[in-house]
Amino acid sequence: MSHSFPSEPWTAAFADAVNANEVYRKHGAPWTYGAVAMVCSADPSLGLEEDVGMILDVDRGACRGAKLVKGMDAVMDTPFVIVAPYARWKQVIRGEIDPIKAMMEGKLKMTKGHLPTMLRFVESSRALVTSATAVPTTFLDE
Amino acid sequence: MEPSIHLAPRAEENGYAVMVAQLLRQGLDERTAKKSTLAKMHGRVTLVVTDLGLTVTMVFDGGRVVVHDGFAGIPDVTVRAPSEWHTKMSLVELEPRLGLPDPRGAVTKEVLEASKRGEIQMHGMWTSLPLVLRMTKILSVA
Repeated sequence: MSHSFPSEPWTAAFADAVNANEVYRKHGAPWTYGAVAMVCSADPSLGLEEDVGMILDVDRGACRGAKLVKGMDAVMDTPFVIVAPYARWKQVIRGEIDPIKAMMEGKLKMTKGHLPTMLRFVESSRALVTSATAVPTTFLDE
Repeated sequence: MEPSIHLAPRAEENGYAVMVAQLLRQGLDERTAKKSTLAKMHGRVTLVVTDLGLTVTMVFDGGRVVVHDGFAGIPDVTVRAPSEWHTKMSLVELEPRLGLPDPRGAVTKEVLEASKRGEIQMHGMWTSLPLVLRMTKILSVA
């Protein structure tokens, strides 16, 4: 079943995809540095009147929970925050861009978080984000 | 003197320049021993990310670093490699006493092999060896 991105069902399916990802389970096993938020910037032309974030409570290679939030204030307590416009997340979900390369190009921006820690966990960071490719997705602009 | 890390004008548009500056700042905050290493560094190091068409130059001046988009003057050292290797180079293991790359480390071995194959090209390494070794130390997150 396909879910609209972003939405609560999509966020729940994303958490399931993370937990089903063997690569993430392996490389993320030592991760104890807190939740990660992936934020889609507001885009009124798509009906996104404010920023929408998906907060993944990841710990030791598993996603213990996920929630959809609105507005940047809602992610300010999250240790790691990655922000991008809708079109970029769409490319990530379709597996068209590598999240680490996209960060180097400035297409995805880590607006909060400890970069040395993220680089130490580069394989798990990549696996976490690319878990989204396993979620059957309907996009707002299609 | 407290270290200072700055982005040159227009460098904020280069995602990799932003990442390098963030990595330097957070790395220095995390391991204060890096501050004395940085204070000894003078020269220009250019990083060319061959697959993404990104170039970043770090200008070191005794505790002060300015990160530029593209080339900035004639570099003392130039590192040309695909993005995957630039990420991996920050994971090179350092031996604890002197902080030099540990030749027994798995990532160090991979990087040396990639250098032999020509996937990583380092120009100016032998004429600026102290600068290269110190750069490895301050950019390492291992």
